[in-house]
Amino acid sequence: MSRVILLAIFAIIPRVSQGQAIPRAPDGKPNFTGVWAGPGFTHRVGPGDTDTPRVTTYDPAKMSPFKPGGDAFMNRRSTGDSTKDDPTAGCLPNGLTRQILSPYAQQWIQTPTQIVVLYEYMHFFRVIPTDGRTHPKDVELTWMGDSVGKWEGDTLVIDTIGLKEWMFDATHDSKPDQLRIHSDQIHVVERLRFVDPTTASYQVTIDDPKIFTASWSQDFEMKLHPTWKILEFVCEENNRCMFGKCSKSDVQ
Amino acid sequence: MKAKLTLLAVAALLVSSAPAYSHHSFSAEYDANKPITVTGVVKKVEWQNPHIWFYVEVKDENGKLTTWGFSGGPPGMLARRGITRDVLKVGDTVKVEGFRAKDGSNNGSGGNVTFADGRKVFAGSAEDVVPR
Repeated sequence: MSRVILLAIFAIIPRVSQGQAIPRAPDGKPNFTGVWAGPGFTHRVGPGDTDTPRVTTYDPAKMSPFKPGGDAFMNRRSTGDSTKDDPTAGCLPNGLTRQILSPYAQQWIQTPTQIVVLYEYMHFFRVIPTDGRTHPKDVELTWMGDSVGKWEGDTLVIDTIGLKEWMFDATHDSKPDQLRIHSDQIHVVERLRFVDPTTASYQVTIDDPKIFTASWSQDFEMKLHPTWKILEFVCEENNRCMFGKCSKSDVQ
Repeated sequence: MKAKLTLLAVAALLVSSAPAYSHHSFSAEYDANKPITVTGVVKKVEWQNPHIWFYVEVKDENGKLTTWGFSGGPPGMLARRGITRDVLKVGDTVKVEGFRAKDGSNNGSGGNVTFADGRKVFAGSAEDVVPR
């Protein structure tokens, strides 16, 4: 009798631990559709479905050793010219690696053949095919790169190449005299998997052969916020004192 | 009474929450070596992207009025923390602690905002250096 009960328990446990309650699409895949707080939030959900954005950067302790010249290439001294040190102050894009850590909401829309990510920050978007296609042979370099997705069981794997040489992250927020740059050879792999019905683990693997001797990974999380809508963010609307130079109209 | 409690709850949230994010780094536009503190009356509030701005009219000992402009977090990021546009009102008397714009004009990052009744509000951005 006890053996029957034990078997019954073991029959139930896998279904629960495999996340029976996680959202699933009609095709059986985990369904990432919804509005998420990405890695750039604390994920401590407060009253009113609030969350707290925070500046999040890649951890040097996670990074692989540098190739000769890699340290100097990635870690730059700020020049004092904000147009070069932080072009986002003039409403230029974050680029993918910084956008992943962006503490603004993002909406994911999943279909059987593609996933669309709408980023609140500056209205950026990604269209990620999951129909088995691979990267084109001649990829034009862009800020968000060329992404293709595939499923490894319940894990969504997004592979991106074709990124311009650009800001790695917002490290100069904690070190105002420094900034980090990645090369145009960077290869980014994101792995997402539900750990509970409203939380997804979000692993980012970076391979930049111009900088590092090997690829390295850092683990983050995303949190689903059922009541959120992505908001309008027009960077040019009222960007006063741009690049640290206040115009006459900024001085009221 | 209900409104007062709501206001207190919002104020508590503002003080306890980490600051919001901006669309660029603090050092791109502000000088962490130039802290400023002004007390005056809120003259204008621009609850717009990419940062809220609010203007404070300050009277010196000779009665001369000077207007200071301060930037804070983006409206959406403040909203994620439950902070809405009615927190700062024209006519409020506030003390603002922040950091001056790099060009030396009468502008700065918002830092801490303290109301006449002692409520302390942070309206700035995560990149901002927060006065302690």
